[in-house]
Amino acid sequence: MNAAIDNHWYPVAMISGIDAPRETLLLGKKITLGCEEGTCWVKDASGNALPTVERFGHLWTSPGQPNRDLFTIPEADSPGRRLVDVGSVKVKCSPLRAVENFLDIAHFPFVHTDILGAEPHTEVDRYDVKIREEVDEVWATKVKFFQPQAAKSAEGGITTEYMYRVPAPTCSVLYKTCPPRPGEWDVITLFVQPLTDEWCEVWPWMALYDDDSTMSEMVSFQQLIFMQDRSILENQLPRKLPLDPGMEVPTQADMTSVAYRRWLKKIGYTYGAQLVAA
Amino acid sequence: MDWVAVALTEDVPAGVVIPSRIEDTDLAIWCAPSGRYHAWSDRCPHRGMRLSHGFVRGETLACIYHGWQYRENGSCDYIPAHPKLTPPSTICVPTYACTEADGVVWVSLHQTDSAMPDMGGRQPVRSMPINLSASDLAAHFGAEDFTTIAVVSDHDVLFAVQPCTDSACVIHALASPDADRSSVSRWLEDLRATLEGVPA
Ligand code: FES
Ligand SMILES: [Fe+2]
Repeated sequence: MNAAIDNHWYPVAMISGIDAPRETLLLGKKITLGCEEGTCWVKDASGNALPTVERFGHLWTSPGQPNRDLFTIPEADSPGRRLVDVGSVKVKCSPLRAVENFLDIAHFPFVHTDILGAEPHTEVDRYDVKIREEVDEVWATKVKFFQPQAAKSAEGGITTEYMYRVPAPTCSVLYKTCPPRPGEWDVITLFVQPLTDEWCEVWPWMALYDDDSTMSEMVSFQQLIFMQDRSILENQLPRKLPLDPGMEVPTQADMTSVAYRRWLKKIGYTYGAQLVAA
Repeated sequence: MDWVAVALTEDVPAGVVIPSRIEDTDLAIWCAPSGRYHAWSDRCPHRGMRLSHGFVRGETLACIYHGWQYRENGSCDYIPAHPKLTPPSTICVPTYACTEADGVVWVSLHQTDSAMPDMGGRQPVRSMPINLSASDLAAHFGAEDFTTIAVVSDHDVLFAVQPCTDSACVIHALASPDADRSSVSRWLEDLRATLEGVPA
């Protein structure tokens, strides 16, 4: 029992995908979940009911006593958006590595070649990062990057602007300029369920302005991107995320990842983290 | 353990990088366009990505994650996210002694003055992974040391053995120049089936 780890909300299922009760893992422990007559439930291994929240198309639970509500994404509620349940991908890496990769733009030209980035457009300009103390979240703003095909709805290359937000240790929300609606932001999230400290289930979810693409086109676009990320995530050494400086070498482009690691350390979130051997 | 065979040169042509390992050390083995072989720690200093998934560009090895490029001495030459930056000389991949002889790529994890094992004029046939530790393999042939094992057979075969885990190694097999490669290769597969206890 570690309050700094247990007292958070974690995604454990896509609600539309729950057809029968099933078992899964949360922080290395077995849980069961199900949905009957429109109400979802989660139980721990001894059969005790755990708290639940249904939000963003997903079922959330906590093995502890969360001291705050599950975060909200007000932008996602505005009318006209299409809410996309992308499904899930299991990845053999620390949940924290999965979040950190989502916060990174410098890999676009090499991992998502000709989709989210392309050489020679590899430069990452300075952007703003801070830990917003009032809400205890990590934010990166004014992130700009040239993209050959930023979204399913994008035609030709454009410079895309991003904002990244880490509202919980294993969740990240990305706001990105929206090709059909200048001035609005598309919302793409990454909700990560820590199965164990080196194995996670990743539930991307999107709230997009896109009137043309079919649901399955939007899902396959995001799944393709995520498969490319998985080939990286399963081949980083060590599998856990090093929180202490020294083991890995960041540059200015990695300011978001540096802030994320620092914030995890500050709030004592060490599940899936590699600390210097004592 | 000085020099250990990690690959046959024909399996690592110029411009190619492959993963390999000697016991607990993960390696990226690559051949520069110049024809020089390199054995590096298989971990990019930036964010830990395996360099064996990277690509050779010019005389450098580039990491597949963010494209950082490393010179033949292991030092970082270029960071694509900051094209105008000269990377500090402290950014460096750990490198190991690596050289080619008799069509075999040899690596030593520590500094050594010793010579490469003598292959007696034999030529490479193929590399073959096997589910058996290097020491069990040596014991099977009554060899004292697994580095090279001479096998009494029709083909005058010599094994250069690469220890990988407690239950796996790779045999790099060489044979006399006039041996028929495909029959040596079949003989090796039969040997593997016998040693792994799988019906051939
Ligand atoms: S991890 Fe190798 S370049 Fe980033
Ligand atoms: Fe990615």
